[in-house]
Amino acid sequence: MTQMLSRRGFLKLSSTAAAVASLSSIPGTLGAIEESKKQYKGTTKFTPSICEMCTSSCTIEARVEDGKGMFIRGNPADKSRGGKVCARGSAGFNQLYDPQRLVKPIMRVGERGEGKWKEVSWDEAYTFIATKLEEIKQKHGAHTVAFTARSGWTKTWFHHLAQAYGSHNLFGHEATCPLAYGMAGKDVFGAAANRDFSKAKYIINMGHNFFEGIVISYARQMMDALNNGAKLVTLEPRLSTMAAKSTEWHAIKPGHDLPFVLAFIHTLIHENLYDKKFVEKYCEGFEELKASVAEYTPEKMATECDIPADTIKRLAREFAKAAPKAIFDFGHRVTFTPQELELRRAMMIINALVGAVEKDGGYYLSKGADYYNQFIGEGDPKAFKLKKPKTPAYPKVEVPRIDRIGEKDSEFFLAGKGEGIVTLIPHATLNELPGVGYKLHGWFVARNNPVMTQSNMENVIKALKAMDLVVVYDIQVSDTAWFADVVLPDTTYLERDEEFTASGSKNPSYGVGRQKVVEPIGESRPPWRVAKELGEKMGLGAYFPYKDIEDYRLQQVGDNIDLLAKLKATGSASFGVPLMLQEKKSVAEFVKKFPSAASKVNEEGTIDFPQKIQLFSKKLQEVSQKGGLSYESFKYKETDELYLINGKSAVRSNSHNGNNLWLNNLLDDAAVWIHPKTAERLGIKNGDKVEVYNKFSTQKGKALITKGVREDTLFAYFGFGHVSKELKRAYGKGINSNALYSPLVSPNSGMNLHVVGAKVRKA
Amino acid sequence: MAKKYGMIHDNNLCIGCQACNVACRSENKIPESVYRLQVWVKPEEYPNGTLGYEYHRQSCVHCENTPCVSVCPTKASHVNEDGIVLVDVDLCVGCLYCVAACPYQARYVHPITKAPDKCTFCHESRLSRGEEPACVTVCPTDALVFGDLNDPKSKINKVLSEKVTYRQKEKLGTSPKMFIVPNHKGGIRS
Repeated sequence: MTQMLSRRGFLKLSSTAAAVASLSSIPGTLGAIEESKKQYKGTTKFTPSICEMCTSSCTIEARVEDGKGMFIRGNPADKSRGGKVCARGSAGFNQLYDPQRLVKPIMRVGERGEGKWKEVSWDEAYTFIATKLEEIKQKHGAHTVAFTARSGWTKTWFHHLAQAYGSHNLFGHEATCPLAYGMAGKDVFGAAANRDFSKAKYIINMGHNFFEGIVISYARQMMDALNNGAKLVTLEPRLSTMAAKSTEWHAIKPGHDLPFVLAFIHTLIHENLYDKKFVEKYCEGFEELKASVAEYTPEKMATECDIPADTIKRLAREFAKAAPKAIFDFGHRVTFTPQELELRRAMMIINALVGAVEKDGGYYLSKGADYYNQFIGEGDPKAFKLKKPKTPAYPKVEVPRIDRIGEKDSEFFLAGKGEGIVTLIPHATLNELPGVGYKLHGWFVARNNPVMTQSNMENVIKALKAMDLVVVYDIQVSDTAWFADVVLPDTTYLERDEEFTASGSKNPSYGVGRQKVVEPIGESRPPWRVAKELGEKMGLGAYFPYKDIEDYRLQQVGDNIDLLAKLKATGSASFGVPLMLQEKKSVAEFVKKFPSAASKVNEEGTIDFPQKIQLFSKKLQEVSQKGGLSYESFKYKETDELYLINGKSAVRSNSHNGNNLWLNNLLDDAAVWIHPKTAERLGIKNGDKVEVYNKFSTQKGKALITKGVREDTLFAYFGFGHVSKELKRAYGKGINSNALYSPLVSPNSGMNLHVVGAKVRKA
Repeated sequence: MAKKYGMIHDNNLCIGCQACNVACRSENKIPESVYRLQVWVKPEEYPNGTLGYEYHRQSCVHCENTPCVSVCPTKASHVNEDGIVLVDVDLCVGCLYCVAACPYQARYVHPITKAPDKCTFCHESRLSRGEEPACVTVCPTDALVFGDLNDPKSKINKVLSEKVTYRQKEKLGTSPKMFIVPNHKGGIRS
C-alpha cells in the first residue's frame, strides 16, 4: 500500500490487502468498516501535542497534509528536545490509519485466546462489563478486580473508576520498567532524581541506552556533553549504540552490576575520594554505609563482575576528580539483579558521596509546584497547582492490596499506590499470597500489554485464563487483548484531547496533554469518555462531574485563564526560573525572581536541601534489614547455559508499536546476538534459524553473529515474538525474551528480572 | 547569487535511529517497497581493536558533476538552479540509464510512476515553504546540517570550516555535495 495514492485510494488498498491476508478482516478493525466512515478531518496547521509511540511523552506537533498524509515533528517551542522526533514518532500516522487497528468494541465468542470475535455496540459492551463487575463485587468483593493503566492520562481516568467501584488494586506498568529507580530517588533524596547530562564532564552508564530506547532530550544532552569533551564510560554486556559512542566500553558480566557499584563506593570511601564537606552537611548514615560496604573491595568484586580491580579503582578516581560535574547514571527499565532497589540506591549514593547533587553537570531533583514553592516566601507568586473536580469519597476497602502497599510492614512501601507491583497480578490470581487473604478474579487493562511486558508470558496468560473477567482497552487487539472477554477501542493520541498536566524538572512546568489533530475514526473513544460512560452505566455518575474534556480542563485551571490559553496555543508553560539548590548563580537568579526566597539562602549563597540525603535507609532497615548496601550472589543460570539479556531497539521500543507498518518494515524480526566463538562451538552461522530455549519457553528466531556481545551471553531486542494473531505484521516474528524470563518478583522493588539462563541451537 | 544546496552527515552524532528515514517517507509519501533515504549501520572493528558502528547515509549525494544527468537522453534528469539533482517525470522515457550510471546507487524506480526517483532535499515539498528537508528537521542529535554552500555565512560552511569531512568516491570526480564527518573512533579528529 502506498501514500502516493489519494487518501481514499490508500484506504481502499489497505483494506483490500488486509482482506487478502485473512480472507476476511477482523471484526471491529479499521480494515473492516465501510469506506464512508473512514474519511478523516483534520487541520493543516500544526497542532502542539504529546507523542505516544513510546512512554517518553515527547512534545510534538502534527499537521494534515493535502488531505492524504500527516507530518509529525518535534515541537520547536520545546528547547530541551529542539523540535526533534525519532523514527517511532514520525511513524505515528501509521498507527492512526492502520487497517488492523480496532475501531469498534468487540467481544469474544470462542475460548480466551481462540481469536473468535463479534462486533458489539458501546452500550452492549458497557452493559456486559458493568454486569460482570457487579457479579464479582457480590461474589468476591470489588477489590478482587485489578485495574492496570498506562502511565499518565489513562491512569487518571481508570484508577478513578476503579476506586469509585471499590477496588484499591491499582497498577501501572512501573514494576516492569522504571519503578526501582523511582523508589530509590524517594528513599535517598525524598524526590525524583534527574541527570543534567549536557554539562557533565564524566558520565558512567550501566546499560541505559537512550540512543536506542530513545528519549530525545537525553540523547541531545548526551551529544552536547560528548561534543564538549565529556568522558562517557559504558558498562554493558553488549555493544549498544551507547557503548559504541562511549569513550570506554566494558563488557560487564550480566547480572553483576551491583558488585561493580559496591566496589566503586568502597574505593570512593577508602581512598577518601568523597566530598567530606557535602556528606557531613547534607547526608545522613555515612558511617552505616561505610560499614556495610567494608567487605566489598575491588579485588573481591572484580571476579564477580568481570571488571579488573584496577579498572574499578581508576574509574572511581577519575569520576571523583571530575565531580561535581559527574553523573553515575541510575538507568532505566532493564533490570540486572533481584537486588534492583539496592543497585539503584547505590548508584544514586555515588553521586551524593561526590557532592554532585543539585549542581550543574550532576543530578538535580524534580521540582514540581510543591517542591519549588517551599523556597518561596510571602509576597511572591507561587507555582500554580492544577485543580481536580470535587468527587464523592471512595468506598473504603478493609482488606490489604495484593502488594500490601499501605500496610505498615509492606516491603514495597516505596512504591506509589498508582504504581503498585503489577508483576504480582499473575501470582495473586493463581495463588492466595501471604497476608492478602484473597485471590484476584478480574483484570481491567487500559493501554498496557502485560502479556508482552511482564516476565514469563506463560504465567501471565495462565492468570488471564483463570480470571472471571478480562477487559482490555487498546488501539488494537494487543497480545493481552487476545485473551480478553471484551476489547474497547481507544483513540490514538492523534485523535484525542486530554487533561492538562503538571510536572517539574529544574522548575515547575505544565503541559497541554494531548490535543487532537484529526477527529476520532470509526467508533474509537478517548479514556475520559469511556471511564465516564462506563461509570455512569455502573451507577457511579456522581464521580464524573464534567461534561467533556473541555469542561474538565476548565475545572483544572479555575480562574487561571492565561495558563489555559498558553497551553492550548504552545503546548507547554513553565513557572519561575530553573533552580539548582547548590549553584550560587542559579540561586541568585532565583532570589532575583522571588525576593522572599532570600531568607532561605545560606552563608555560602546556596540553598540547603530541605531534607537530609539518606546514605542508609532506616525504613528499609526496619522492614527488611536492608538499610545499608549488600551483595547477595544469585544463581541466574545453570553452568551449561548462557546469560540471556534484552534491550530496546530504536525503531520498536515498546510492546505496542511493533505492528506499526513503517516500523515493522524497518525491523520485523530481531535476531539473537551470539558471539562468534559461541556460534562456532554450537555450529551456528550468521542468519541461521535458531531456537533459544530454557525451562520456561522455546523461542524461534534468527542468529546474528557479532563480537558486540560477551561470549557467555545472548542478547535479543525486547518487543518481538508477538502472540496476538490480530497483529498480523508482528505475529510470531522474532524472539520474545520476556517469555524466557522467570516469573520472579524481586524483594522490595517488585521488579521482574531481565537476566536468565538459556541455551541456543540451530532450528 | 544562485544557491548551491549541500548537506553534512556527521558520523559521530548519528545514532542510526532511522528518524530521517521515516520522516522522509512520511513527508514525501514514499511507497513502502522503496526508500529515498536509509542509514546503514555497520559494525566495525577498528585497527586499535575497539568495536563500534559506522553510519552510512544511503541517499542521493547531489553531485556537481552528474553521471545521471549526462546519460539521460531526454533531459528528464537535470540539475536545478539551486544545485539539486531532480527527475522530471513527464520527460522520462523509463530507459533507466541514470539508475545504472549513478555510482551511489541512489535511484530507484517508483512503483507507481515507473520513473526513477530519489532524494530531492525535499525540494518539492518543504524547501518551497522555507523549511529544511524532513530528515534534517527531525534528526534527534543534529547529525545533519543543510544549507547553501554559496553563502559564506551559512551554518553548513561554518561546520565545514571546523570539522574534517570527506565525500564518497571523490576520485570519480563527481563532486558530491554530501559531506561526511568521519567517526572519531576510526582515529580521525577534527
